Amino acid sequence: MSTAPARVDARAKVTGALRYGADRAPESVAYAAFAVATIARGRITGVDTEAALNLPGVRLVITRFDPDELTSPGFIMTGGYGFQSLQPLLDDRIAYRGQPIALVVADTPLAATEAAELITAAYEPEPAAFTLDAPGAETLVQAQAIPIPMFADTAVGDADAAFAAAPVQVDVEVSGPNQHQVPMELIGGVVEWHGDTLVVHEGTQNSGAVQNGLARQLGISPDRVQVISPSVGGGFGQKNSLQPHIGPLAIAARRLGRPVKLVLTRPQTFHQASFRPASRQRVRLGADSSGRLVAAIHEIDQQTSRHDLFPAMYTEVSSRFYGIGAFRGLQRLVRTDVQTPGYMRAPFEHIAAYAMESAVDEIAYATGRDPVELRLANDTAVDPVSGLPFSSRHVAECLRRGAERFGWAERSPRPRSMRGPDGTLIGWGVAIGAYPGSAAAAIARMSAHDTGTVEVAVAGHEMGQGIRTAIARLVADDLGIEIAAVKVGVGDTRSAPQHLTAGSWGTATALPAVHAALRDRLGVPRTGPVDMRAAVAATGGSRIEIEATSVARGQPADVVVDRLRKGLLAIAGPEYPEFVTFSHIAHFVEVRIEAATGRVRVPRVVSVADCGRVASPVTAASQVRGGVIWGIGATLREQSLVDPRYGGFLNPTMEEYPIPVSADVHRIDVDFIDEPDLLLNPVGVKGLGEVCMVGVSAAIGNALFHATGARFRRLPVRIEDVLPHL
Amino acid sequence: MRSFTYTAPTSVADAVAAIASAGPQARFFAGGTTLFDLMKLGVERPSALVDVSRLGELEVIDTSGDDHLVFGASARMADVAADPVVLRDYPVLAESLWRAASQQLRNMATVAGNLLQRTRCPYFRDELYPCNKRRPGSGCAARDGIDRGSAVLGTGDACSAAFAGDWPVALLALDAVVDVVGPRGERTVTLADLHVEPGDTPDREHSLAPDELIVRIRVPVTPAGRGSTYLKIRDRESYAFALASAAVAVTLTGGGVVEECRIALGGVATRPWRAYAAERAVTGRPLSAETARAAGEAALAGARPGNLNAFKIELGERTVAEALRIAVERAGR
Repeated sequence: MSTAPARVDARAKVTGALRYGADRAPESVAYAAFAVATIARGRITGVDTEAALNLPGVRLVITRFDPDELTSPGFIMTGGYGFQSLQPLLDDRIAYRGQPIALVVADTPLAATEAAELITAAYEPEPAAFTLDAPGAETLVQAQAIPIPMFADTAVGDADAAFAAAPVQVDVEVSGPNQHQVPMELIGGVVEWHGDTLVVHEGTQNSGAVQNGLARQLGISPDRVQVISPSVGGGFGQKNSLQPHIGPLAIAARRLGRPVKLVLTRPQTFHQASFRPASRQRVRLGADSSGRLVAAIHEIDQQTSRHDLFPAMYTEVSSRFYGIGAFRGLQRLVRTDVQTPGYMRAPFEHIAAYAMESAVDEIAYATGRDPVELRLANDTAVDPVSGLPFSSRHVAECLRRGAERFGWAERSPRPRSMRGPDGTLIGWGVAIGAYPGSAAAAIARMSAHDTGTVEVAVAGHEMGQGIRTAIARLVADDLGIEIAAVKVGVGDTRSAPQHLTAGSWGTATALPAVHAALRDRLGVPRTGPVDMRAAVAATGGSRIEIEATSVARGQPADVVVDRLRKGLLAIAGPEYPEFVTFSHIAHFVEVRIEAATGRVRVPRVVSVADCGRVASPVTAASQVRGGVIWGIGATLREQSLVDPRYGGFLNPTMEEYPIPVSADVHRIDVDFIDEPDLLLNPVGVKGLGEVCMVGVSAAIGNALFHATGARFRRLPVRIEDVLPHL
Repeated sequence: MRSFTYTAPTSVADAVAAIASAGPQARFFAGGTTLFDLMKLGVERPSALVDVSRLGELEVIDTSGDDHLVFGASARMADVAADPVVLRDYPVLAESLWRAASQQLRNMATVAGNLLQRTRCPYFRDELYPCNKRRPGSGCAARDGIDRGSAVLGTGDACSAAFAGDWPVALLALDAVVDVVGPRGERTVTLADLHVEPGDTPDREHSLAPDELIVRIRVPVTPAGRGSTYLKIRDRESYAFALASAAVAVTLTGGGVVEECRIALGGVATRPWRAYAAERAVTGRPLSAETARAAGEAALAGARPGNLNAFKIELGERTVAEALRIAVERAGR
């Protein structure tokens, strides 16, 4: 076994040596900034750039690109590459507040910023809608608006009849706020031309989409675009596709003959990139008098933009939480005047779990059963939607182990029955989470050197989750070499085709394939440690290069590999031909509400996850803690405020958008089932980074009910919501 | 951000002369933690900056005197918060400082600059919105908007933006004064007279002339410092502005009766808010849950809520009552 450092890039991170995309500072680089729209919908009738152009140091001001030099990248969910289809600076339409109306390039960041502020525009504004209930918001039934099977509503049996006949019924409505990902690393990058080749350094989770999307936008071959995402300072879904600033930068760089750098300001990242859409859910659950769930109806309204339909996928997961024989989903999209919302960590599952698992908790109280026991009684080994077995499902073990570690048996079930000596209201809550297990096609390249070093290049982006560490460990363990001898190349379109990195594990299928191919080429046994130095030397050369391609179960190889090479999504799951895969987790939460002031604290969380084999224990536990902390923030803190008169977001800064701080975080105990899921992939890993956040909110909500006797239907739950229940 | 001139005088006299000659759009700055933010947002557009962070004479922290604690205007918030006498004898001051901002900001920000920190009303901080404080006469976007953070005490028709500071609230409770130097000489202003309610001129937040420079803060020595606390309730446990806060300092008689009581509020008012009626409700009585609650209610009497901030009344009442409990417990040790 390898002598593994906890994280291969730990030292570089804590010393500040790690390089991010926008850290690049090539010689003669120029700096760009955007002037942005002050209205949310309408038409630009004129842009005054004179003052900006007169500012010393300003080299270029662009208010409109020609259609033959820049086109839309297409929306990532409809075969394109962009977080939205709308490419700013192509016409006179304004579709959301904060949309760029001019690009300024100058010799210094200061001059670019000042020039952008000097640009003014005249508009013809039109009435706009920003919230689900606003006049002018347009509601569509998703199954009709996007007639594609994967976006259809899940339906099993006759849920309405079963619900009507159920002796125990609960009916829960929940509203979820706009939220933003707020990664530490801002959105931005450096764009430069090396001859005819465009080189982009940008923190992205999807360098393949950036590469191919830019090629489409600029009308050049993808071979002439190189994208390097050296490290991503947090993406959380906001950096999962091509951002609309890069195409304009490429043209500016070509016109000026200089590299161009742009970093959006923090408020601009709230207005020019994706975010978690507002949502409204209604869950009706029916049970028999013993608490056996017999029917579920899950209806969702989810915000989208005017120009794109961001598909809602809530019922895919809510239908699989338990073995409920009758389920009906209805997903509606509500068009509003915003940039296109998108994927933010556990995008649908987090808020779907809040609704579903709150309702399940109500069933437990309505039937007088312990919430853990009720969940165990409704567990299932078979997917109720497809009838296929789960490739692995350890919900019951997560619940049992979590209950034991938490001390759940000591819980007094009656609401408001647990108090601290000073009157503090104590609540204990539980909820489970699930997240679809995806797999993607991947191409892995490996070179083994007679020095003993192995270089591996594969699809993947290091976004702080520790993928370099996980890959290095997998390679070192499988080949029986030192972890220090493994060099991992990810996030670089020059080394291997790059697929979106988001909760899927194409890497896990590609690595065993490339290991096997390498062993065959070296003529060493299929298992056991390899003396790499000797084996390479024995071939008579100094290095051996191997490439292996893998696809997920049931994926047509030729089609998905082509999609992979084109930077398109090449994901399978959670339904595979012979099984269905989900990751699972159980969260146990204690809340304490200060009786004097209503302050809510979360002193203790126990989370037990089923993510298959744990690829890297330290980074995995860290992932779970991060997901739990985000769950705390999403439940008790975070909301992007919208003033319905103006649109945009009112609190677009780290000071005003209250992500949790260290002082909000207390004890979080993490445990893993650590049973490999060898049906999904030969390594046995399932996704972890998303499922760990799913169910945290519901567990907190259920704990708040236990503490106060009140159900909180609107997130976030803030002090003014709690005060009436002290 | 626009261009501006910059001077860094080395004496108070030079600083006052510099600001007088730099015109009406000139600003003093020390830590820059508020001003630079507002300049980046375009809310402040000074033509000239006079840097008073290099006036060594103003960095003094002297807590040894019999009459006053003396804090030079340029003393850093972090340094005052860590002063052993402040920590031991005036927890209300120490807590008001270390519960403000972040360590990085407290390392830069000065105790005088913090007195004049501007509101966090979101509509004030973005030029897009009408704001009588930022642009007099333009209207108030918060009035019919998201006013969750707005004040409920000292409100006006033109503006109800909450005062954002903590330290000034603690200073007000302890009857601190500031010494000010201007072209017309030196004068002393009480904390009570330093900040003003918005009235019809919300752009005017304090009683200093633009060419006057705070040189020091003096806090009268008081045994009530030991029985004191600054309780701050906010949307997260750190790095957030107060939804409601209370600075409370008390002394007790041997029999546990509240002898002297000082109460000031933050987060709920348009300026640091002294709650004399609440002080009277407690003084001369032993503190009970009932008297504490009565003091809280007295403190918030006359509050005028907007659309989304009515909860601040109950929260303010509870904060005062809880701060009283903590202060009395400390005074009784």
